[in-house]
Amino acid sequence: MRGDWAIFVIAGIAVGIFVYGNIFWCLIAYRRRTGREAADFSKNTPLELLYVALPFLIVLGLFALTFIVEMPIDRVSASPQNRVAIGSFRWSWRFAYAGTHIVTTGTPAAPPTLYLPVRRVTEIDLTSDDVNHSFWVPAFLFKRDAIPGMTNVFDVTPRRLGTFLGRCAQFCGLDHALMTFRVKVVPDAAYERYLASDGALVP
Amino acid sequence: MIDWLTTTNHKKIGIMYIVSTLGFFVVAGILAALIRAQLAVPENTLIGSHLYNQIFTLHGTAMIFFVIAPFGIGLANFLVPLQIGAPDLAFPRLNATGFWLFLLGGLTVFSGLATYGGAASTGWTSYAPLSEIYQGTGVGQDLWFVGLLLASVSTILTVINFLVTIFLFRAPGMTMWRIPIFTWEIVATSVLVLMAFPPLAAVFAMVLIDRHLGGRFFDPAYGGNPILYQHLFWFFGHPEVYVMILPYFGIVAEIVSTFSRKPIFGYVGMVISAFAIAGLSLGVWAHHMFTTGAVSNPFFSAVSFLIAIPTGVKFVNWIGTMWKGSIELSTPMLFCIGFMLNFLIGGITGVIIASPPIDYAAHDTYFIVQHFHYTIGGGSLFALFAALYFWFPKIFGVRLDERLGKWNFALLFIGFNVTFIPMGFMGLEGMARRVYTYPPVAHLALLNGVASIGTAIMVVGAALFFLNVAIAARKRVPVGNNPWGGYSLEWLTASPPPEFNFDELPPIRSRLPAWDFAAAREASTL
Repeated sequence: MRGDWAIFVIAGIAVGIFVYGNIFWCLIAYRRRTGREAADFSKNTPLELLYVALPFLIVLGLFALTFIVEMPIDRVSASPQNRVAIGSFRWSWRFAYAGTHIVTTGTPAAPPTLYLPVRRVTEIDLTSDDVNHSFWVPAFLFKRDAIPGMTNVFDVTPRRLGTFLGRCAQFCGLDHALMTFRVKVVPDAAYERYLASDGALVP
Repeated sequence: MIDWLTTTNHKKIGIMYIVSTLGFFVVAGILAALIRAQLAVPENTLIGSHLYNQIFTLHGTAMIFFVIAPFGIGLANFLVPLQIGAPDLAFPRLNATGFWLFLLGGLTVFSGLATYGGAASTGWTSYAPLSEIYQGTGVGQDLWFVGLLLASVSTILTVINFLVTIFLFRAPGMTMWRIPIFTWEIVATSVLVLMAFPPLAAVFAMVLIDRHLGGRFFDPAYGGNPILYQHLFWFFGHPEVYVMILPYFGIVAEIVSTFSRKPIFGYVGMVISAFAIAGLSLGVWAHHMFTTGAVSNPFFSAVSFLIAIPTGVKFVNWIGTMWKGSIELSTPMLFCIGFMLNFLIGGITGVIIASPPIDYAAHDTYFIVQHFHYTIGGGSLFALFAALYFWFPKIFGVRLDERLGKWNFALLFIGFNVTFIPMGFMGLEGMARRVYTYPPVAHLALLNGVASIGTAIMVVGAALFFLNVAIAARKRVPVGNNPWGGYSLEWLTASPPPEFNFDELPPIRSRLPAWDFAAAREASTL
């Protein structure tokens, strides 16, 4: 995903420099001076067609890149190693771990913590109790909306151990800004202990 | 006074539109300053959550529905008949109805501030089910929906008027392939409004039915669907973006051409690209919904990428118009250059977030806030100021001061970029949109502080415009028919134009009637 971003940014900067260069060239070279008239240059069909074809090729390349990068992100594993049901409500979160009785419910003042095993595929089943919310962990470069009446299913596979900040991204009213949570990515063994002890042994 | 209240003259209605939109602009600007004051430091307690939610809702609503879009409509009201050599719009009373509905709509939205619970506070998108059940807002939210219903009806009525006038009321010799680009862009804008605004009126009516008459359009417990709201809203919402930019594309083309002393480069390409943008913009709406998991991301991503092509054509045409020209850096021209420099950033960031994997990270963050402000603010708003400086002498018969105008431009340009460049980085660091407070993590405190300083600079820059108007109103230095050396028909009549626009019209034999007329007069005096 970061590679995708880098290519887009580089392409954007290249196009930006090219267009800015042309604009500033005009401003410098064609400033009004006495003794020089404006040239008669108001049509050049081959040039205009070229400037349709070039951007077309650029966006074609960017689309191909997008498609290749997006497919694995959107794919949902048929056999996830782990499953968590995440409920959202105004203005906090509820984490329920499949196969256990663990249900963690937060409040705006006491944001809950979501535990995830490192380098393992976790399926998230995301729902909302009331209005649209959005599950977002900036460090994962990913968010997905929680919409009443439907379950949004997606996979996360954290690569790094650590504690990350998460929050609701979709505006949901009064305490939207306080609808945060923490994600703690822990080693496999610690996670297994957490599940096996029904939440008693916090990693 | 009675004269203004009862007028059906397109120029007076145009002036009333422009003055009203500037009034809403001042209010929206104050709201923006309040937003930046609250966010200047982390964990600020200046403005509470509920008030902050009203402020950003009204800021966005005002800028979109009551400043940027209607200014284009208002300027077209004044200019289109002049540019095509018509005495007025086809349906003058319909035109007056449109204006008063627009003003009533705006005042209705803002009247929510006076109600218990305050004005609407669910953002300019007002997604259901939030906008149907949000505690704390009652009447204010209703007034918001009703006000925008009035404004959308007003817009639909007015663009029908534009289309009929442009197709049927052109002066002899003014063929469709000779009308100025601004008028062409109004044709494209009008078609787009007719396609996009009815769904908006429909979805707002549906919310009002849900809120008061027991409707269940968006309630999943009864077979309703919150996604339906987003589809209908964005089917309007994305074309609306182009309603807010196409007229300004036209403004920039006309001004750049005038101050380069060259006809517009690629006139035909300019017209085709306007309609290509309008057409494509009807097929991109769900790129606002990439993270819902409920739409075809590849399809909407592909169409969104394609829209960059006709937009790129516009840049080719503006630069081609300047190429080998004789460029005069007057105030309107400077604002157009600012428009190009800013809008390009908006366009490039737009292509970046049209890629769903990137949008998964950027959506609903300050990266998006930066992106759309570079298009609507750095783009449309700069072209709006260009238009004010350019056509002010024609509309009021007096000139604005050039030196003050250049200060106006410089401060606005610097202030704008100091405000919005940091926002892209805030988004990357995880700052969500529409939050009244944020923790002092990463560089958020620094970036927000810089952005708030930029806003202060912008406020001073914008204030200079109103100072400039006040000075011009006192001095009243009269201008001739054509102070800038413009080429389109409006520059052949008096400033301000007489009641029915033209006492006599010269023969129209090209796209440059005013330049033809000047050349012919020069030839006859030799």
